[in-house]
Amino acid sequence: MVLSAPPRSTSPRSTSVRRLTKSTAPKPRRRIRSASRMDAFAPYMYIAPFFALFAVFGLFPTVFTFYVALFDWNPIGGQTFIGFENFVTLYGDERFWNAMRNTFSIWILSTVPQLLLALFLAQLLNNARLKFANLFRMTMLVPYITSVVATTIVFASLFGRDYGLINSFLNLFGIESIDFAANTFASHIMVSTMVLWRWFGYNTLIYLAALQAIPKDVYEAAAIDGAGGFKQFIFVTIPSLRPVIIFTVIVSTIGGLQIFTEPLLLSSPGLTGGAGRQFQTLSLFMYEQGFGDFKFGYGSAIGVTLFALIVVFSVINYLLSRRITSDE
Amino acid sequence: MSAKKIARTVIAGGAALALLAGCSGGGDTDGKITLDVWTFGGMGLDEAFATYQEENPDIILKVTNAGGSDEQAQALTTALAGGKGPDVAAIEVGYMSQFKAQPQNFVDLRTLGADDIEGTYLDWRWSQGVAADGSVVGIPTDVGGLAMAYRTDLFEAAGLPTDRDEVSALWPTWDDFIDVGAQYREATGKGMIDNVNSAIFNPAVRQGDEMYYGSSDDDLVYDSNPDVKEAFEYALDAIDADITSRTPSWSEAWNAGMNNGDFAVLAAPSWMMTYISQQAPDTAGKWDIAAVPENAGNWGGSQLTIPAKSDHPEEAFAFIEWLMSPERQLEIFQAHGNFPSTPELYETPDIQNFTSEFFSDAPVGPIYANSVESIQPIFEGPQQRIIDTAILNSLSQVENGEEPAADAWSTAMKNVKTALGG
Repeated sequence: MVLSAPPRSTSPRSTSVRRLTKSTAPKPRRRIRSASRMDAFAPYMYIAPFFALFAVFGLFPTVFTFYVALFDWNPIGGQTFIGFENFVTLYGDERFWNAMRNTFSIWILSTVPQLLLALFLAQLLNNARLKFANLFRMTMLVPYITSVVATTIVFASLFGRDYGLINSFLNLFGIESIDFAANTFASHIMVSTMVLWRWFGYNTLIYLAALQAIPKDVYEAAAIDGAGGFKQFIFVTIPSLRPVIIFTVIVSTIGGLQIFTEPLLLSSPGLTGGAGRQFQTLSLFMYEQGFGDFKFGYGSAIGVTLFALIVVFSVINYLLSRRITSDE
Repeated sequence: MSAKKIARTVIAGGAALALLAGCSGGGDTDGKITLDVWTFGGMGLDEAFATYQEENPDIILKVTNAGGSDEQAQALTTALAGGKGPDVAAIEVGYMSQFKAQPQNFVDLRTLGADDIEGTYLDWRWSQGVAADGSVVGIPTDVGGLAMAYRTDLFEAAGLPTDRDEVSALWPTWDDFIDVGAQYREATGKGMIDNVNSAIFNPAVRQGDEMYYGSSDDDLVYDSNPDVKEAFEYALDAIDADITSRTPSWSEAWNAGMNNGDFAVLAAPSWMMTYISQQAPDTAGKWDIAAVPENAGNWGGSQLTIPAKSDHPEEAFAFIEWLMSPERQLEIFQAHGNFPSTPELYETPDIQNFTSEFFSDAPVGPIYANSVESIQPIFEGPQQRIIDTAILNSLSQVENGEEPAADAWSTAMKNVKTALGG
């Protein structure tokens, strides 16, 4: 990988820079030296605002969460140090494992169809014979830029038990109405559909960009060898897209573990994600404990656990992807 | 460094950043005092704010509506945790127990003269704003009261009486109420009530003198108080008798159901009249109001508090005193249906003769007055809302057919224990 071998490339570049400056402006040495010192310093200055803001709004809260997790911490009251008690309680808490199951279920139900759909749509949009290609490509992003609140309200009424369009449609075929919000699996489908709707366009465009980068001659060679459209897709397109597919899987894993807004809005009023906590995700459980029940310490312990979970998944993804890419 | 100090440092840092970003707190200009007032939707106070502003040019009211009562509670939590806060903050009664458990965050209103106005308000309503240590954290706004709003057209179709006195006489007890529901189901094939939580458990559990707590924060009686168990059983009986349309309150289906007649009876506190008339304007004249079984009940209401960080507690208290005076509460009731929490008004012609056109000219004034006068003060501890949520959720699960009724009570008690332990 590029990142793993930086030192070798630095020395020749710096000598060439020095040679260049020497030949163009030989005389005022002191100014050159200060200018080059500025040059060395400038990039750090450019990226400093990000890191300063990140330190305040990203790094500090993260580290502080680890600290709060060790306390019985009422946000408007007292704080008592209790060590790892929050974690001990948490791992014996049925609600935590329930939220964990829900999170994974919703994540799988939303990510797998989403990426397949995105791949399919990207393939369609990449077709050279497609008219108004740009219009269609732009349209893909509309769900992504629509407010989640608006999306959730519309979907909630589509999935409604008594007046929902989806149930009216099912009734046409003699299927009885499903109470999407009350039933565990049905509610996961409902939440996953909203997540899928929001993110499929984003992934489609990423796949589309990758598709356009595949050289045409590979397809031509495949065609000469007698591969049809489907075989080309399986043996040329998919292998070429492998790194991009891995990237989208990683990003949607991290996003999927943090699903929050949709279950929160569906849960309202209340933060339990349905009366049986049937669609309460880990993030919503964390929010319920921290801001609903005033248990910041316990909420932070959930946050720390979620953080650890995401790190583990990212590492697994990274190792997997490294193995897959080096297989080529 | 103590945790508090660290928290304070963080907040100071955050505040510094906010200043850098160009935000500034409500500074006082030209000798005028700015009162930062946080409310939420449906409190019906807008005209009163305007009047106050007109009468008090030296005070600038800066009113922020946080949205719903949940959003308001969360916004206030965040502000208080950061050592800040407005000058006046409304807190919905459901959240009151959680906030008043930490009274150090609020000005003890006894220091500003709250004792002098205590007698003006219903005693049980006043006690909702009093902390365990006796400090007065909040002044009551309106009181919900409780009645049963019913659809006369649907009752007629079901062969039930439509006259409000006759309907009230149908259900002196909860058992009678459930029987009427069963008749309604037989006649129409539909559920009579919207859901068991709003129409049965909530009113029934508040008709005793104790709920989940005995007389102190440590005295948890939710599992031993027979009133709680009894209210729970009524709800289970109602589910068993199939009298519910299983429509959750505040859902889209609920709003639609009011219009379409999916249910015929709805527990309606005074402020709900406005909500029904807005959600189901086409049903005007088809609603009437009858007494709630056992004749007492309340749903909703808020307290107005002054966070300890307020720069102008005296002015804030004077404002609250003015805003929640009987005269003002009467005006708010007449305009928005929020029922006054000041009993001296109840015998006046303004309340006694008050009728609602939308509700078939029902004498809503005396009906609501009657429902709030017999309520006993109930001690509510810090975990009140958490316990309530766990129990109500268990009932919903049975109502939705997701859990068997036989295990419901033990599941509810187990869930409460988990929620309290976490």
